[in-house]
Amino acid sequence: MLTKEQLLRPLAHNRKNAVVVTCMGVTRPWGMHSSSELDFASADSAMGHTADLALGIALAQPARKVICLNGDGSMLMTLGTLATAVEADARNLVLFVIQNETYEITGNQPIPAAGRIDFASLARGAGFRRAHYFEQAASYEQQLPALLSGDGPVFVAVRVEKGSEGPISRSRTEQARYLRASIAESAHRLRQVLTSASPSAFADHG
Amino acid sequence: MQARLILEELKKCGVTHVVGLPDNSSAELFALLARDNQIRLITVTREGEAWSVASGLWIGGMTPVVLIQNTGLLESGDGFRGTALRMRIPLLCFITYRGYSSGGDRPIDPSPDQWEVSWLSRPDLDSVALLTEPTLRAWGLPFEFLDAEADLDRISSAFRRAELESRPIGLLVTQPMKGTC
Repeated sequence: MLTKEQLLRPLAHNRKNAVVVTCMGVTRPWGMHSSSELDFASADSAMGHTADLALGIALAQPARKVICLNGDGSMLMTLGTLATAVEADARNLVLFVIQNETYEITGNQPIPAAGRIDFASLARGAGFRRAHYFEQAASYEQQLPALLSGDGPVFVAVRVEKGSEGPISRSRTEQARYLRASIAESAHRLRQVLTSASPSAFADHG
Repeated sequence: MQARLILEELKKCGVTHVVGLPDNSSAELFALLARDNQIRLITVTREGEAWSVASGLWIGGMTPVVLIQNTGLLESGDGFRGTALRMRIPLLCFITYRGYSSGGDRPIDPSPDQWEVSWLSRPDLDSVALLTEPTLRAWGLPFEFLDAEADLDRISSAFRRAELESRPIGLLVTQPMKGTC
């Protein structure tokens, strides 16, 4: 079983110019490893809709990898997205599922079928040609560069220790840079970064 | 209303992707989109997914629209709230209006405070038709109607409004989209 540190540190080292979309229990920890303008926290957002949001970004930006760090509870809420990603042929999507088998944010209540569900098999069954499961830090770190290269969509389930993250907020006082702006401001800013377009008409002065 | 004319309007507006689920009313437009080489069709598994995929496409620089039925709209509440609405995405959503004409031509003012609970189970009324407009108002999703081909210019005006106000806008499609005769 990996710690969050063992999951995220190598990922931050290997992500290059990929967009990284986070949610739930890894949101703050990722913000301690990265302050890239290509990071997006699906926090203060729609429950269970991180993978499909990342899928949309991936389809819009086919020349760039999009890495989604999804929770296992979140993945269960929108399992259909596995099929959508395959059907849409999202070759640049790398979908991680962080398997801690609990709803960490609300106090580590167990997810349905905790300890029995096999996410990599679910992904494979939906049509992912590349679906992996890791529970050892060394093999994960060794294979990570390969996971982040080549055509996908790629599915990566990683067994991670339970944590103690509380509810995620967005405020000026958050240590993680990408949690200091509203989700609207973050979304519009990322679009500007990805398109190098002129500033959006939207401005968040909150 | 000819599906082909709606497709032409979407192209005039620079739409890059249509994200949604088909129903009987939108089937012809889905058929056209499936073989169109200018606008990409993304078929999702549930309507809540449509909002988030479309929001992601917009963040990535595209110009998507959502195309769903009002039944699926009701299922998609948190997906809509937490993505397109909360993120202030200028996004057009076509909502086909099941039950619009049930029991005659709009016999009941769809105002919940005037309902009797028995109306929701009346076989001559489609309960989703009763719930659609009050739901849109409650969710803060402004909407207009597409009742006939004469209304098609509302598509481009709704686009302009969505951009200007940086928010999603709904278009309630009350008539089936027909194939070319």
